[in-house]
Amino acid sequence: MNELAIIVFVPLIAGALAWLIDVKGIREIIGVLGAAIPLGYTALLYQKTGEGLSFALNLGVFKLTFALNTLSWFFLGIGALVGFSAILALVSTGKDSYEWLFALMSLSGVLGVFLANDLLTFFIFWEIMTFASFMMVLHYNRAASLKYFLLSVFGAYAMLIALGMIYAKLGTFDFAQIQQAMYQDAYAAAFGADTVFSKGESALIYLLFLIAFGVKAGMFPLHVWAPDAYSETNQSYAAMFSGVLSKAGVYGFIMLYILMGTRLAIEIGGFRSTTKFGYIIAFLGGLTIIVGGLLAALQEDIRKLFAYSSISQVGYILVGIGVGTALSMQAALFHALSHALFKGLFFLIVATIVYRTGKTSFADMGGLAEKMPFTFAMAFVAILSLAGIPPLVGFASKWVLFEAVISQNLPILGGMVFFGSAIGFVYLIRFTYAVWFGQRPTDLDDTKDAPLPMAIAMAILALFNVVLGIAPGLVARELNKIFGKEVIGGNLFILDLGFGRYNALAILIYLIVGIIIAGIIYFLGAKVRKVPVTDTYQSGNPVTMEYNLTIRRNFFLPLKEALAFWLRISFDKLYRDIGAWVEDLAEVLRNFIYNGNTQSYAWYLAIVLLILALWGV
Amino acid sequence: MMVDWRLYEPLINFARKRSMWIVAFCTGCGGIEMPPLMTSRYDLERFGMMPNPAPRMADLFLITGYVTPKTLKRIIITYEMQPDPKYVLAHGSCPLNGGIYWDGYNAIKHLDKYIPVDVAIAGCMPRPEAVMDGIKKMMELIETGKADGWKRYKENYEYYKKNQDELFGEGWREKTARRWIPWLMNKKKEGDRQ
Amino acid sequence: MIETALKALLILIYATFVGFMFMGIIRIVTARIHRRVGPPIYQPILDTIKLLSKKSNITHGLIYDFGVIYALGATILALMFIPIGSIGVLRAYGDLVLITFLLEIPMLGIMFAAMSSGNPYAGIGAQRALLTMLAIQVPLGFAIVALAEFYGTFSTYEIVMAQQTMGWSIIHLPLLLAAIAYDLVLQAMFGKEPFDIMIAPGEISLGPMVEFGGKHMGILQIQHAIALFAETLFFANIFLGGAVVTAFSSPILNTIASLAILLVKQIAVLLVATFMGAIFPRFTIDQAAKFYWKWPTIIAALGAILASL
Repeated sequence: MNELAIIVFVPLIAGALAWLIDVKGIREIIGVLGAAIPLGYTALLYQKTGEGLSFALNLGVFKLTFALNTLSWFFLGIGALVGFSAILALVSTGKDSYEWLFALMSLSGVLGVFLANDLLTFFIFWEIMTFASFMMVLHYNRAASLKYFLLSVFGAYAMLIALGMIYAKLGTFDFAQIQQAMYQDAYAAAFGADTVFSKGESALIYLLFLIAFGVKAGMFPLHVWAPDAYSETNQSYAAMFSGVLSKAGVYGFIMLYILMGTRLAIEIGGFRSTTKFGYIIAFLGGLTIIVGGLLAALQEDIRKLFAYSSISQVGYILVGIGVGTALSMQAALFHALSHALFKGLFFLIVATIVYRTGKTSFADMGGLAEKMPFTFAMAFVAILSLAGIPPLVGFASKWVLFEAVISQNLPILGGMVFFGSAIGFVYLIRFTYAVWFGQRPTDLDDTKDAPLPMAIAMAILALFNVVLGIAPGLVARELNKIFGKEVIGGNLFILDLGFGRYNALAILIYLIVGIIIAGIIYFLGAKVRKVPVTDTYQSGNPVTMEYNLTIRRNFFLPLKEALAFWLRISFDKLYRDIGAWVEDLAEVLRNFIYNGNTQSYAWYLAIVLLILALWGV
Repeated sequence: MMVDWRLYEPLINFARKRSMWIVAFCTGCGGIEMPPLMTSRYDLERFGMMPNPAPRMADLFLITGYVTPKTLKRIIITYEMQPDPKYVLAHGSCPLNGGIYWDGYNAIKHLDKYIPVDVAIAGCMPRPEAVMDGIKKMMELIETGKADGWKRYKENYEYYKKNQDELFGEGWREKTARRWIPWLMNKKKEGDRQ
Repeated sequence: MIETALKALLILIYATFVGFMFMGIIRIVTARIHRRVGPPIYQPILDTIKLLSKKSNITHGLIYDFGVIYALGATILALMFIPIGSIGVLRAYGDLVLITFLLEIPMLGIMFAAMSSGNPYAGIGAQRALLTMLAIQVPLGFAIVALAEFYGTFSTYEIVMAQQTMGWSIIHLPLLLAAIAYDLVLQAMFGKEPFDIMIAPGEISLGPMVEFGGKHMGILQIQHAIALFAETLFFANIFLGGAVVTAFSSPILNTIASLAILLVKQIAVLLVATFMGAIFPRFTIDQAAKFYWKWPTIIAALGAILASL
């Protein structure tokens, strides 16, 4: 069989088998195999990306086509890697076969989205992915899943309308043909001739696609489903949910650029050194960074903190895509990769903590660094990566993004991106202080470290974090292949952008040298003796373990007070109010029109017949 | 480690005597004598002495004035948190022999039984000039290596511990800690209920 | 290889020594403003020797030790990237954004070490330090953006070279605005009034430093000295023109001359910070955040927009 078909359909089949065979040991093995096979095939297909592999499935009236090119191989790699780690961790935290079915179904859906070669396949697999993740959230919390479902459906209908408009005008779904037609249209518009899509129509299509992909990626006004949905699901699945499924939205935006970029650029016009339609995406992305980050710092629940952090990081990617030059697109793709890696790692860590301690709120945790040292080491790597500290991969991608944005003379976006990296520090310290350090509540005294499958999954992601950080040239080479020209120069360890250079190896070497010098000074001093955590200065008062001295609730109260004005504006409340208004409207209709009274129905019938008679029917 | 630090003793003692950091813990009525010492008239900073709020980085402990058992518990806990070498300077007559509270039921009469004192300055509040004199004597003791209150504390720890336990009762740290915890826990419960 | 290592070692020793002199200058200038005599100028060296020679030290765990060592290591790393005159070990890779990030990392290491002691004062201190850092990022970001847009390059060394021909940065209006904003940000980075809320001696017992003593505090003093040197050097390089002297024929005399000129510029920056610090009381954390998000942000944003036109 064709390899692409195997990659797309094997997880689905494995999920169905795991659901049917409800035996505890066997379904885990089937599930892990179902996720490992796409990963293996993706690695094998690395050599063959240039060959134009494709696969077509004929379903009578229409056909589904899949194709592999460098860009889709890149996203496929991210999806398969993080998906495999998430499924491996699901071995420990999965509760029943229902979860296996839908987790694997959503993995299948997202791989199909990445490999799709025409709009219909794209849409079908988009819906499969959304449906499966909705079922995963439904298993835990109905209100959160309802919000997710409504917003996703809204986005999907928007995409369907846009699809319908394109099919009506062009008569085809195939990506290559649509791209061709759009180019011709763009040149026709540039020369003033007649175009297939009028100005209003192309702007409408752009808006509909913006809504559809923005909902999935979690862009600023449409992000309200994400905190509840990411926190009310199996946390190992949340690694795949936020790491991979949000990349489907990013992939959609890149498709928008590839298909309609030239058309929209000529139609809607430019803004300073970038296009207007791109600047809208980038500005909303910048707002997402700020809003997501500030709200993350104020959360009390560990899952919600990482959900908001996820939204904030996707904002970076949207800024990169919006700016639109080759360098910024490469920066956005680089950040997509590093975000999937470190956010997947973070959600696995959260899954371990929730699984072992059973608690999700910061007020109940503390002092876990002694009991879970391996998880703490993994958390250390993930924290350094998200905060953007060299030499890990988070810094490399943020650096390229920052330079790409600044070199295009866009100061406001540059300021927003810079602010975002400081926000990263803020909520990470909140997480570290409340969970890993300080006095330990007595009911956490016998927590064990991570179980073996989760430990292996975390180690895989952490390894990629470190390796790709020390040698960012590996990723840069792949990205250059996607664009066909050498946008990021340099060799394996150096990224050379012409106006700025970054040498990861030199940083690593000198950091180690600096630590050795500090270590020498340290060891020349007297020996240390370890003191328990109760031997700490509290103005001379004696301290016992029974009273908790660390600040676990409301850690950032001054920030909440400083932002009190802005926190009253909430899009969540806006959507709720719109929903309540629609319900009221329905109540009014029910009371006055559909009121169950036979006499008024008789009146309606009479009026309608009269109108029809007058009309001459 | 591999270096013989005894060769550098003169330099290290010079550094220790010229940069004593004072624990900012002002007991009793003598605390009022600290600001004149630190401000412009009798500037103490020219000897490198700085008040420092954290005991873990401070080496000089000034007991300025009378000591009650409640304060003595906190003094002992803070004194044990300081790293060696540490010095104690007792101001006033109260730490020496009870001072004007010689017949009080709740003032400690001989501080030297509970923590070791290096230099004592007599007076019912000594003037800043007298305190400077005492500090000069302290610097001389450090330079010649005779300021060994901390060594006495470590070697005779049973003697000091016996005196402390006689005064406060055995296991006084945990008992004191638990006594102010219920008060805090009640406050916390009220806060939660609101 | 040996030559690079020797250069790095010499830069490090020079930076440590001059950094300690800077800490001494701060103390003696503050004392003279208060009409006191003040400690001798080599006082911080005596403090560090005293701290490092303590005979007993405590630790709260592995992260407590490692955080402090990491902070010093990161500061040394940051120092290597900033060009000093015409020498500089890694100056080809000294990117504006990279150096700014690297100058903030030691604080993260110190906060990790402080928090692992479980002291609530350290927790509050960490919270305030983080919020201060959050507050200063906005004007800092805009200032860096203004610089990069004006010169068209991110490399610090090229900015220094461009200033030799175009004159100091602050004679151009957008960069003058950026320099004013960056100077206000430097107050918080040094930890001086009115923005020393993160240290706040007496209010929260020195905040994150409350549990550090003995050799850990000694290492932190060395880190503060090198950080002072690195931050003033960075400001002198990007706004005050750096110093690349080619008048003499022997390279050693050139190096000494450029080091002397840089020293004068750095002391000027330091004195401005000390004068401001001696006069003002302390802002609370929400006052500091609101201040930074109002005037320095507006000034720096204006500078950035003007520079990009």
